[in-house]
Amino acid sequence: MIINSIKIDDTFAEAFNMRGTRVIITAQNLKWAYHAANAMTGFATSVIGCGVEAGIECVLSADKTPDGRPGVSVLMFAMGSKVLMQQLETRMGQCILTCPTAAAFAGIAPKEGLEIDKISLGRHLRYFGDGFQTSKLINGIRYWRIPVMDGEFLVQETTGMVRAIGGGNFLILATSQAAALHAAETAIDAMRKIPNVIMPFPGGVVRSGSKVGSKYPKMFASTNDAFCPTLKGLVNSELSEEIESVMEIVIDGLTFEDIATSMRVGIQAICDLGEASGVKRISAGNYGGKLGPHHFKLHGIMGKTAA
Amino acid sequence: MSALTFTLKASVTHSIDCRRLTANNLADLSMTEIENLNLLNTKNSPKIGDYFDVSGSDFNHIVFKNTNEKLNYIGHKMTRGQINIEGDCGDFLGSQMRGGSIICNGNANDRVGDQMRRGLILIDGNAGDYCGSRMIAGTIGVFGSVGNYAGFAMKRGTILLTQTPKLQATTQDCGTHTLPFLALLFKSFNVLSTRFNTIKNLRVQRYSGDLACNGNGEILVLRLESN
Repeated sequence: MIINSIKIDDTFAEAFNMRGTRVIITAQNLKWAYHAANAMTGFATSVIGCGVEAGIECVLSADKTPDGRPGVSVLMFAMGSKVLMQQLETRMGQCILTCPTAAAFAGIAPKEGLEIDKISLGRHLRYFGDGFQTSKLINGIRYWRIPVMDGEFLVQETTGMVRAIGGGNFLILATSQAAALHAAETAIDAMRKIPNVIMPFPGGVVRSGSKVGSKYPKMFASTNDAFCPTLKGLVNSELSEEIESVMEIVIDGLTFEDIATSMRVGIQAICDLGEASGVKRISAGNYGGKLGPHHFKLHGIMGKTAA
Repeated sequence: MSALTFTLKASVTHSIDCRRLTANNLADLSMTEIENLNLLNTKNSPKIGDYFDVSGSDFNHIVFKNTNEKLNYIGHKMTRGQINIEGDCGDFLGSQMRGGSIICNGNANDRVGDQMRRGLILIDGNAGDYCGSRMIAGTIGVFGSVGNYAGFAMKRGTILLTQTPKLQATTQDCGTHTLPFLALLFKSFNVLSTRFNTIKNLRVQRYSGDLACNGNGEILVLRLESN
């Protein structure tokens, strides 16, 4: 498949089941909401080393948040519910409780017909109040008010946890590092507008794609040599002569459709740049299809656009 | 579905116990059954129909009309639904309440929210003595004045006022604050059409009490002048 002179490989991205949650963080202004959210989603690029993958989903204007202040929506994903709950509590305690003027609310509410578990947002955090914490039940939702030095920290008792998908991805193969990065940035700008997904890596882009296993017995993941441009000729490379740099975009989302949509929007944004961008191919990372139950076939996803 | 409405037939000179007139007690009863229901749990109790004209069918929304200060125990032990009182009411409004909301457009007498545990009581007018006495939790708002001993022996909960009440020795002034939770609370008031809808600012004088009962309750006095 070729879109606007850019080749789309006949391959698929392989993704995994995850558990996901959403938290709405508000503050006196957007600056401080970002400070809180950036801290909370810091060091959360990959479950391999960080426990969770987290990112800012979108900015919320004051009329879209529960307390009428500006805020941001944060999505957080982990391989299991236990890790997610533990990471959420730790990050709430260290990043949101500590951030001046910040408050936190559930971003996923119970809905009929959807499997949503309630997990603690402020239920345990309240003990920081040392007995001075008070709760308020407003419209059936319990909030905790914890006295802190800047006034009161307001936090909803629980948020919702849903089944989600992580590891949707695609690879951008270009003639130079600058070209690959520019294309990746263009894709990320477009994908940030899609709800229910995050791209957890720095700036949304990862340059160190990995393969399973290593020559070193203790390493369970190592560099994806087939896509490393400096190893052309040394390994069974996936790269043709003109490819000099590869960037990967990894996507976690609440549903298959959310990830598919964001991949389509991202790839389309790159294809719209055309041949002059230096991008030659779009590919995707998989493990042969045996590890992850979700397969995002690039031709299937982009076929909807081409058609 | 229209609200289940109790209209007081004539002006009464003695008190009427309204504790049975809640969604919990009346749900699934027919109109005739309600009218013939004893007002009290006694052998010679008058019937509800003796005092009230009953109309409407929505048990979760009960309206009292043509009311006066003789109607006691409205919303007693209620756990759900909404009660609107279009006028004044008597003592023990929302006593031992466990949920739901009560809106009183007039004045209420003594012991509003006595021993209430959850729920919301909003009074557009004044409240009598012992407002929020022995309160376990929940929220009481009084837009007018309150009598003596507000928050007497309250354990937790919030009493929201617009005028500083006569404070007891066991109520402690905690200063003036902008409390973020009030944004959520006021937002929830917006659907209830009371005078509280006019409040825009979150600035309150916070009094903690009753310190003889742990002092986790609070009396918040709104700073209306900075609206």
